[in-house]
Amino acid sequence: MKKLISLLFTALFVLSLAACSNGNTSQPAAPASSAVSETTAEIPATSPAATEPAAANQSAKSADGIDVDLTAMSSTMVYSDVLNMQQTPDEYIGKIVKMKGPFNVSEIGDNRYFACIIADATACCSTGIEFVWAGDHSYPEDYPKKDQEITVVGTFNTYMEGSSKYMQLKDAEVEF
Amino acid sequence: MNELFSNLGLYLSRSFVQNALIVGVLIALCSSLLGVTLVLKRYSFIGDGLSHVAFGAMAVAAVMGLTNDMPLVLTVTVVCAVLLLRMGKNAKIKGDAAIAMISVGALAIGYLLMNIFNTGSSNLSGDVCSTLFGSTSILTLSTFDVWMCVILSVLVVLFFVLFYNKIFSVTFDESFARATGQRAGLYNLLIAIVIAVIIVVSMQLVGSLLISALVIFPALSAMRMFKSFKSVTICAAIVSVVCALIGLFTSILAGTPVGSTIVAADIVVFAIFSLLGAVTKRTA
Repeated sequence: MKKLISLLFTALFVLSLAACSNGNTSQPAAPASSAVSETTAEIPATSPAATEPAAANQSAKSADGIDVDLTAMSSTMVYSDVLNMQQTPDEYIGKIVKMKGPFNVSEIGDNRYFACIIADATACCSTGIEFVWAGDHSYPEDYPKKDQEITVVGTFNTYMEGSSKYMQLKDAEVEF
Repeated sequence: MNELFSNLGLYLSRSFVQNALIVGVLIALCSSLLGVTLVLKRYSFIGDGLSHVAFGAMAVAAVMGLTNDMPLVLTVTVVCAVLLLRMGKNAKIKGDAAIAMISVGALAIGYLLMNIFNTGSSNLSGDVCSTLFGSTSILTLSTFDVWMCVILSVLVVLFFVLFYNKIFSVTFDESFARATGQRAGLYNLLIAIVIAVIIVVSMQLVGSLLISALVIFPALSAMRMFKSFKSVTICAAIVSVVCALIGLFTSILAGTPVGSTIVAADIVVFAIFSLLGAVTKRTA
């Protein structure tokens, strides 16, 4: 009986280790909604340099061309992905990111920054990711109201302001 | 079900998830190897005490603005492990009281320092939550952390394999080991250092409050089914790795905190093994 149980657990162990290997990453994740899929088709192509994702963090693209779909992830994955974006932003440059959350705007000096707030898995605090809406839009007429839920799809980019590095989604398409 | 597997495939393509799986398996393996010795030597609580020390050291590193806190945390924890073991039976403050004192003292001082020196720019609640309960820290490891974990894990496994017979004799009958000329004190010291290393590395996986579970649950589960030191150790290692993988996969798919999900898996396995142990005892 003991030998049988030992054998069973050894088989389970081997199976679980096999599960560690890369899954079929070519299998695309189902798009969150058809409306958003149409929007993503309009995303302008980014420059060749920006579209080369770092080999260390290459991920499978979904059918609608999104590299990092924060709207389809579990809260643990969303938190980890956003934290990794902050810690290793260079690995995300050029990737198409989709996010969903309350709209926020902050004005510092003459500059105005638009952001989508991403909920925190630890339920203690949230992170805002800045976006730059593609095309001509004037604030506040064309923009959503503060805290209104928006879906943003854009290309991950970083920029320097003073001595600090910031991340943003450029050429973004916004739905609300 | 199809969507679940396609999501899992997508998650597994992320480098930080791959890192988490590698580190998770290694940590689970290392903690279970020494777990059997700790449980048998009645040292189960030392892991808890040392993990709180590691939390205090981590807070000091954060206050000092160290981007890489591993060397400092490792040194402080190893020193405390050696001190706790070297205090001896004739010390004014006895072993269990010393562990409790260092444990809560380090935890309190660590949290106090983090609050006093918090500049407001850092996410204090998130950091504390992640460090204590390991909510997501294993999914945000740097390349340095991964390599450090791999190297330390290899050293721990090597230590266990090379000194297996010595660990065995020191674990079961220290007095007999001394009488036969073995340097029990030295091996106890080495075990304390290795425990400290495991604690520091394990903090990445389950957080400092839940480390004891990672150390003692696999050993206790294995003891329900097996009786010999070797079979208990092998079974504990398998149980620990399987539970770590189940916990990690559940956590990334269901969005639950990593540390507590792994410990929950350990508790379920312990319950199953207790039941199986009772059944096999009756049928034997």
